[in-house]
Amino acid sequence: MKLVGIAGTVEEVSYNKKLLQFMANHFSSQVDIDILPIEGIPMFDQDNDQTETQAVQYLNRKIKAADGVIIATPEHNHTITAALKSVIEWLSYRVHPFEDKPVMIVGASYYDQGSSRAQLNLRQILEAPGVNAVVMPGNEFLLANVKEAFDANGNLKDGKTVDFLATTLLKFTKFVKVINTMNDVPVQTDGAAEEEDLMAQHPVKTTVKDVDMEADDWVEQAAKKTNAVDGDTYVKLDRGLLTVNQLNYFLNTVPLELTYADDNNQFIYYNRGQAKGKMLAPRKPGQTGDPLQKVHPDRAVRGVKKVIHALRTGTDYVMTPVPGWTADKAIIHYYKAMHDENGNYAGVNESVFDVMPVVKWYLKKSGQLLMPDPNAKTDAGASASVDDSASAGGSDTGASASVDNDSASTPAPAPDMSADAGAGASES
Amino acid sequence: MSKEMKKFVALVGTNTKDATNRKLLQFMKQHFAGQADIELMEITGLPMFDKPQDMHVPDRAQAMAKEIDAADGVIISTPEYDHAVPAILMNAIEWLSFGIHPFADKPVMIIGASFGSLGTSRAQEHLRQMMDAPEVHARIMPSSEYLVGQSLKIFDDEGKLNDTEKVAQLEALFADFQQFVNISKELWHSTQVDKELLDNRNNIKA
Repeated sequence: MKLVGIAGTVEEVSYNKKLLQFMANHFSSQVDIDILPIEGIPMFDQDNDQTETQAVQYLNRKIKAADGVIIATPEHNHTITAALKSVIEWLSYRVHPFEDKPVMIVGASYYDQGSSRAQLNLRQILEAPGVNAVVMPGNEFLLANVKEAFDANGNLKDGKTVDFLATTLLKFTKFVKVINTMNDVPVQTDGAAEEEDLMAQHPVKTTVKDVDMEADDWVEQAAKKTNAVDGDTYVKLDRGLLTVNQLNYFLNTVPLELTYADDNNQFIYYNRGQAKGKMLAPRKPGQTGDPLQKVHPDRAVRGVKKVIHALRTGTDYVMTPVPGWTADKAIIHYYKAMHDENGNYAGVNESVFDVMPVVKWYLKKSGQLLMPDPNAKTDAGASASVDDSASAGGSDTGASASVDNDSASTPAPAPDMSADAGAGASES
Repeated sequence: MSKEMKKFVALVGTNTKDATNRKLLQFMKQHFAGQADIELMEITGLPMFDKPQDMHVPDRAQAMAKEIDAADGVIISTPEYDHAVPAILMNAIEWLSFGIHPFADKPVMIIGASFGSLGTSRAQEHLRQMMDAPEVHARIMPSSEYLVGQSLKIFDDEGKLNDTEKVAQLEALFADFQQFVNISKELWHSTQVDKELLDNRNNIKA
């Protein structure tokens, strides 16, 4: 197990450095502790960003690459040193190497307290959102009266103290394994997502009652039931006034395949602009009105539930690629949560589109070429397995639904689409 | 300045140029100009505290200590970084409690401003804990939390606080603080004992 150790001080002579050194030597058969000096890290200054300097980047890389971190902190004025705080500030500003990193805190002091207040304070700091470390709970190791604690060879004199430190470190190695296992496994939201009712059995205010959802003429029946307007009747919109005919001309020529699934998971609209054979995500007229479960193959249901659950619980949008991207075709499903004026979830606005015609047009107009990014990590999307199909309202497109990777919740900025497309869409 | 006016040092707890904590102190200086003499003090220009073996305190810290010594009290406005006081302010307090003790028995009022809505609540608790350490030994005014959230929106073009409730709260706190300065003069019994203890620890000549 590879750990890094940080002594939270820039003092020339420090018992906390000594403590870390002792740990590195004494426990070298169990863990590999690489001690990182923090001398040379400047005082944090927002107006003079030093994140890119070698000194800060060195710490950033070392901590990122380590399985866990041990921090030995002195106590100055009931708290940690400014030197250590400054390091943490740099490492929580533009870079975040402590994110999800297991951390163990130890500390040594000249007098009785053994850095007790500083350790508590350090926990509080490491748990701040920009730092987001995972500090091992309990297992406080306080070394008091340090001047008497070490022998001439830098070894802790008291056998019981060494035993206690060994036990604490052993627990930490287990803690590191648990936390890093947890980090490797995507958060399982299936439990809650399973509750999504894709059979649309929970009518909402707008649900048309007493009409068979699965009837091929659901649209006609439901229109009659609600006295729906059509033809040249005007409807008032935000923002404008169109006849129903005009609205259809308009929606049917939007260069996207649009689908409306309401908050009862009923598929109630798509823009039938294209002849069926040309559709990227084929729909049939008779499907309109169906519960979402009826328009998806069984293997897709789990993925659909995940996407809808994410949108219903606050995720702003989810993007999924349709497998089979080439230099000429890269189809994307874009699911956007809809909300009413009061912010209540109102269903999914799904659009399906092929980005490549636009990308190619842009490249041609701007005189650029698409190049493979040599540093790109292969995006799961482009070669995704089809188990998780999640095209809400679509029939059989088999898009993967990695909600964790492809979603962003408000107010996060829009994702970098080029990064997603790069893997499977180079034109070289 | 009339003879009765008290003199305060206002410590700007950040090195950021456009800090709203500096604006808050500038507002106090201006707003209370008829009642007290408030001088802003920056905390930049100090080296990283490294607890030098020779106990040498930089000139800049000595100069700051002298001004604080001469003041009736200190107002500190702190931002919050990672749930705590910024390193730069911690560093200043470390130097100002290393063989020199300008804060000892000095009345201190703590305020803070943040861009978000929490108004530096955690940093202020942290700062109280630090100012309470034996080497610092400040007299922090109790029960006087003053949190300014959404600080980017709270100042008008002339640097005035545009929230009348916040102004009224600050006026009351500052009136209390001036009274607290008077009361604190009576609290001196532990000072000598603590000072001797510290001097023994640090092996410093008093």
